[in-house]
Amino acid sequence: MTHGDAAHVSAVIFGLSPLWVATTLFVGTYLVIMSDKLNRAIVALLGAGLLILVGVLNQHEAMAAVDFNTLGLLLGMMLIVNITRRSGLFQYVAIWSAKKVDARPWGILLMMSIVTAVFSAFLDNVTTVLLTVPVTLLITDELKVKPYPYLFAQIFASNIGGTATLIGDPPNIMIGSATGLTFNDFAVALTPVIVPIFVATMIPLYLYWGRHLRATDENRRHVMGFNERAAITDPRLLKQSLTVIALVIVGFMLQRQIKIEPATIAIFGAAVLLLLDNFGKDAETQSKNVHGALSEAEWITLMFFLGLFILVYGIQKAGLIDLMADALLKATGGDFKLTALAILWGSAILSAFIDNIPFVATMIPLIKAMGPTFGGDNALLPLWWALSLGACLGGNGTLIGASANLVVAGLAERAGTTFRFVEFLKVAFPLMLISIVLSHAYIYFRYL
Amino acid sequence: MKTPAIYQTVFPKLKDTDTVGDAMRRMLDDRVSDLPVVDASGKLIGMFKLDRLYATLLPKAALIGYGIPDLAFVSDTLGQLRGKMRAIEHRPVHEFVVRPVHVIHADTAPLEIVLLLHQGANNIPVVDRDGGLLVGMVSARDLLTALQAGEGK
Repeated sequence: MTHGDAAHVSAVIFGLSPLWVATTLFVGTYLVIMSDKLNRAIVALLGAGLLILVGVLNQHEAMAAVDFNTLGLLLGMMLIVNITRRSGLFQYVAIWSAKKVDARPWGILLMMSIVTAVFSAFLDNVTTVLLTVPVTLLITDELKVKPYPYLFAQIFASNIGGTATLIGDPPNIMIGSATGLTFNDFAVALTPVIVPIFVATMIPLYLYWGRHLRATDENRRHVMGFNERAAITDPRLLKQSLTVIALVIVGFMLQRQIKIEPATIAIFGAAVLLLLDNFGKDAETQSKNVHGALSEAEWITLMFFLGLFILVYGIQKAGLIDLMADALLKATGGDFKLTALAILWGSAILSAFIDNIPFVATMIPLIKAMGPTFGGDNALLPLWWALSLGACLGGNGTLIGASANLVVAGLAERAGTTFRFVEFLKVAFPLMLISIVLSHAYIYFRYL
Repeated sequence: MKTPAIYQTVFPKLKDTDTVGDAMRRMLDDRVSDLPVVDASGKLIGMFKLDRLYATLLPKAALIGYGIPDLAFVSDTLGQLRGKMRAIEHRPVHEFVVRPVHVIHADTAPLEIVLLLHQGANNIPVVDRDGGLLVGMVSARDLLTALQAGEGK
């Protein structure tokens, strides 16, 4: 990525070096984001604006720093999901899967986890849990079983499933966009470890909760009485959505051959779906539909990303990223294996407690800066997979580790089930460590 | 023209110790969908609303905001819903009371009442300014009656 004309930026700002100014603004912004006192989009945009105002970056550099491929991919997929969900597809799949296991409590937990993991591999994690958790709550309500184990498993499934593909989790989208790694690269590299991690997570959940789950025959009959076909509210839209989603995924798979970036594929897919959904409708209905789809996009997330890209480029240009890369290399003695595993474990532990999006945004240029030391960009592949696995799976470690965790907790709270930080941590953190141990072994034996 | 010409001073109401069963019978007898609930001193403590009662029949998942867009796929029968309703018949109404979004006073301007009813308020309690005692109720129908009656009503 080029960042335009960087010819004139002050060497000294308010008597301080740009490095100090940028670092202070960067750390300050991250601390306010972590405090959760202010909406993260506001903080990131303010921090980015201040970097420009004090002269660390100029306007041209700031705009060039924004990765519109990441933003476009996120927006395109958000629009596709917002239109598709009106068809009832997600409720249909969830109910169908519950009935496939004869509404047995453990079977439903397992199936809902699989459904969540698969959806998460292709959709944003937060969107996935927003679509699937209400159905889980409905089913557990009918079965008269506690929803906590089901929701806990879905949190893990969403973060694990999201790790498997380029489009499943924002860190992967950022890594893919920054490195040129494709949908297939991610699927080939990460799916082989994600499947065993999913299985290794479900076994302890079965032993801890699953084998104790009981439901009466009558309550199971209630669930078996659900008519999944009635969940499809718009069959025409369903067919259109499935066609477009299939074509978009094929587009991602052929990304390298057709030489089109994922953002273009996703935005084009969204535009086609909007066209199909609105074709032949009057102007007022079209406006209402398009407005609805656009307004339901996660603009907070998109603006947060926009601010972050500028912030991270600010510290990169000021020289902080190079200093951090040097420090990491010094700590690992320049040993490639040790560096890869340090990135994996460091990303996992940190992502359990801090937002993995700003973390990954910072790590990307840091890892790129190690290219010359380790023999060029192509040699960095294991480091990218270590970052992806650590940042995505680490989010399972605590209740605040990933946005999806907090969304599930919020939905559960409104339905009368409380998620507590420590109670969650006691089960989640060891399970997260299991997934990182497996990732460690996978990266070590396959790539190092 | 002030509010006394509009609101009803004789109206159905519930005591906080009445049961849900009592409330349902009163609603059917008086053909209303919400009733004010008062404590022993006559002070308004809230409204018992039919839509709040219906919420108890719904799965929690349908009430969590984002929730489930429709429940067409759930095959609960009318008999099953009756069973759910019977299960709460003996519970006191104060467990289901909701704080009224709007209350008015005896001297509230008529145009303000028109605005509230236009904005979707259904039955608006009238309370006295000092003690919060319930002194009347005004509905859209009461307003229409007052408007039709002409000057001096």
